[in-house]
Amino acid sequence: MSLATASRTMPAPRSEALRRTRTPKSLRKVLTYTTLWIAFIWAVFPFYWMIATSLRAKDEIFQRPPALVPHSVTFQNYIDLLVGAHFWQFALNSLILTVSVTLISVALSVTAGYAMARHRFKGSVALPLFMLYGQMFPPVLLLIPFYVQLRYLGWLDSLYGLIPVYLSYMLPLCVWLMRGFFAQVPHSLEDAARMDGCTRWQAFWKVILPMAQPGIVAVATWVMIHTWNEFLYASTFILSEKNRTLPLGLSGLIGQYTTDWGVLMAGGVITAAPILLAFFFLQKHLVQGVGGGAVKG
Amino acid sequence: MTARTLNAPGLRRTWSSIFETGLGARIYPYLMVLPAVIIVLGVVVYPVISGVVSSFYDVTLRTLNNGTVTFVGMRNFQRVFADPVFVKASVNTLIWVVLNVVAQLGLGLALALLLHRAMPGIGFFRSGILVPWVVPSVVAVLTWRWMYDPSVGIVNEMLMKLGIISDYHPWLGDTATSLYAVTVESIWKGTPFVMLLLLAALQLVPRSILEAASMDGASGWRKLWYVILPQIRVSFAIAAVLTFILTVNNFNAIWLMTEGGPLNSSEILFTLAYKYGFQRFDLGMASAVATMLFVGLVIATTLYLKLIQAREGD
Amino acid sequence: MNMRSSSKVGAALSAAVLGLGLGLGLGLGLGSTPALADNIVMWVNAPLVPGPNAPIYEEIKAFEAKTGHTVELQAVPHMEMERNLFVALSGGAGPDVMALDIAWVAGLADAGLLADLTDKTKPIAAQYQPGPLASGRFQEKQYALPLYTNNVALFVNDRMLADAGIAKAPSNWKEFHDAAVAMTNKEKDTYGASFGGGRMGAFQLYSFIWQNGGEIIDEKGVPHVAEKPTVEAVDFLAKLYTQSQAMPKSVLTAGNWDEVHAPFIQERAGMVVTGDWALAALAKGNPNLKYSVHPLPVGVKPATVIGGYNLAAKAGSKSPDASFALIEWLTGPRSVELMRKYERLSAAASATTPEAIAALPKQLQPFMAQADAGRARPVVAPWSEIHASVFANAWDSVIRGKPAQAAMTEANTAIKGLLEKK
Repeated sequence: MSLATASRTMPAPRSEALRRTRTPKSLRKVLTYTTLWIAFIWAVFPFYWMIATSLRAKDEIFQRPPALVPHSVTFQNYIDLLVGAHFWQFALNSLILTVSVTLISVALSVTAGYAMARHRFKGSVALPLFMLYGQMFPPVLLLIPFYVQLRYLGWLDSLYGLIPVYLSYMLPLCVWLMRGFFAQVPHSLEDAARMDGCTRWQAFWKVILPMAQPGIVAVATWVMIHTWNEFLYASTFILSEKNRTLPLGLSGLIGQYTTDWGVLMAGGVITAAPILLAFFFLQKHLVQGVGGGAVKG
Repeated sequence: MTARTLNAPGLRRTWSSIFETGLGARIYPYLMVLPAVIIVLGVVVYPVISGVVSSFYDVTLRTLNNGTVTFVGMRNFQRVFADPVFVKASVNTLIWVVLNVVAQLGLGLALALLLHRAMPGIGFFRSGILVPWVVPSVVAVLTWRWMYDPSVGIVNEMLMKLGIISDYHPWLGDTATSLYAVTVESIWKGTPFVMLLLLAALQLVPRSILEAASMDGASGWRKLWYVILPQIRVSFAIAAVLTFILTVNNFNAIWLMTEGGPLNSSEILFTLAYKYGFQRFDLGMASAVATMLFVGLVIATTLYLKLIQAREGD
Repeated sequence: MNMRSSSKVGAALSAAVLGLGLGLGLGLGLGSTPALADNIVMWVNAPLVPGPNAPIYEEIKAFEAKTGHTVELQAVPHMEMERNLFVALSGGAGPDVMALDIAWVAGLADAGLLADLTDKTKPIAAQYQPGPLASGRFQEKQYALPLYTNNVALFVNDRMLADAGIAKAPSNWKEFHDAAVAMTNKEKDTYGASFGGGRMGAFQLYSFIWQNGGEIIDEKGVPHVAEKPTVEAVDFLAKLYTQSQAMPKSVLTAGNWDEVHAPFIQERAGMVVTGDWALAALAKGNPNLKYSVHPLPVGVKPATVIGGYNLAAKAGSKSPDASFALIEWLTGPRSVELMRKYERLSAAASATTPEAIAALPKQLQPFMAQADAGRARPVVAPWSEIHASVFANAWDSVIRGKPAQAAMTEANTAIKGLLEKK
């Protein structure tokens, strides 16, 4: 929409506009910052509360009324959590699964996304759209066929059985996002490389791929975060303790006899930590990638 | 390595030269797309079809074990419709979706507009406000469940300090509040993502348009309504569709806080289908609910996108 | 051309391909069980394995040393265990040997997922207490052997009872009601009795139904939950909350024992109806709590619900004999000593000798004292669903103000429907 239409559709009565602009600048600044602080506290508080709970002594956790700041800080909850060997096993399982799913998703979506962005072939228009729609299928609809299939293959209760399941909701969007990134790499670069004597594959491998690196990082991070956090499929198809992933291990801490909220929150901190770290290191890529990719598409 | 000699001028001889001409060149794009397409066919298309089909079959653990899965026509659907919980869950799904989508879009837009400005310290606020989006959903949900605790929860304590309630309230245990208590968590978790999408869109709006609008005397709501919103209309539509889909499919929040209870007061169609499938092991009934959910999603999304396109055409 | 970063990506991608194989390989290695015939996978409920030093490990080491088999022990959270067993066993996966809440035996046996142990157990049947042994039976066949047994009793906070001016723990319904009301003090935020919601409340309820002469499902499989004694019992307990407000609000939400115990641990509730599993939880939660354990208050007659865990074997296990050997090892006479370490009651016959009872910790004695009044929950295939959805919902609606008669009439119809479906 151009500026002309914008002002045409805007029958702005001048008097009101003037009155509005008269709000003192400093007051508006104070109001803005106040709102920002409220939003900030609202967003961060649960996270703070999780950390605060994880650092409390057992008898303080059930104290009523709860105190905003722990009276004393102890790492006992973390020690309790990590001394039992299970939590390490859960973390290892999550790691194996995350690495496998991320590598497969990235490898497959890089080539497919590139081909869709650069080449005209039968389905080069419909396929990407289909990939986007693939995201819409409710997991609960896929859950039952997956169950029947995994059961048939004898892959229930295994980490490798979860890999195809996770690809179902990672791969379509990855391809869609990657296509968006490749579309932004200028054609001229590839042409120059081809003039230089590269084959198509070499041009792709040596020129295009490095250019699309931010996109690859964004997609990989996106897959990593989602695989690391996934709960529904894992809780349905993972049945024995040794194969649990971290989110599943966490939910398992809500017990029949005791829910040790201090230990549970310590587990939450440990589960969230890698994701938060990855996020703050890759924030730029991710924000541009997910925001940009979806918007520009 | 299958090295082929190819004497095209300037081309280096490598195995990948086979894709330069003729058949190789023609199949090259297909080869690159193929692996992803095969996997998507296998893990998305086939299961979706199979899921829809199984809603017409009598699938239970028993019939699976005996190999006696039989076609039962609409019977699964009839049994679902006869279940009073299905009606309850449908109404709850509607409330759940409307509250979540409206609140997340509204708050997300407000935050995006706030954070779009160039002000000192804005990066700090932006990072902080994104935290809910980054925290793993299981961790977030369990933290909220803990904060809602009826006897030592911080939510109760704070509301009491603020004078909003006079006594601790079991937010997740009261049939009147359970769905809304979970909704608050879901809004908290989902808003930052909407904010992110809209912020990205706002950054693409040429500054000149905003400045021109200001010079024109537009301010506040008018500028928002007549200048900014039209500029980010497409992103807003995408955000709306994504939020809608994510909300309908938000299982973790409800399951880990209330399991749809108490007395189905926070049951949505997703959790109901899950219960049919993996508590009662009536996979046919579960598929029936899932199929209806799927059809509903497709219809709603298509209608909405059509509507947007129609308005765009004006 | 930016060769450096291109080679970086190239390296990353080749690492990807390698890692793919590695990831899959690792996944395979972790997911599959070794082909050794005598490796037994065993699932137990998590409370039996509170840490790496749990007494059961020692017992298993002894078994391994004696027989040469190896045992892979896995703890499963109680709340997920039944579902996970169903999913795993019906998919051909799952453990060779499993601990089962006695209420699950019928459902799993009915689905054909448990090995029939009738012939193997006949010669050793006399080793077990008859009640718990019967809990492993379904339709004339023995599918499981009892590991430990329990029932529920009344836990009383001695100080709160004395403060309320009551000299002795309640022994009948009227005293129970009066004590609960007397200990309730709105200003001090104290209540008479802590109770659970949903499944928890339903489980606590059964004893009271039987005490009032009520019946849940009779021998012929006919439900009787809409009849007067049952409705009265539901009404009696629910009114403690809805009318007398002698239960804390946690009755609406408490979905596990921890939440049921919490008000009692915090000395906000003077009584709680629970089993021997509470002893460890109370010791951990509030070591200074002064409380005593008493048989449940008597209604028309004494009654308490039998609980506990059985051990069963998977149908079609690759090592049926080793599996049974392990079950026999853990449930046999040795279980008296093993269960004492957990402060639990063994289901072995030798646990009922006067010497064995005398050796029990004092707090466990009331449970043994009322063991004769123990009743098993109905052994019908859809019991888990009757318990978890029908009874839990009925209790939840009555404490939220629905008339007991209406709720129980609906429950009766629902139970009939579930029983007919099978």
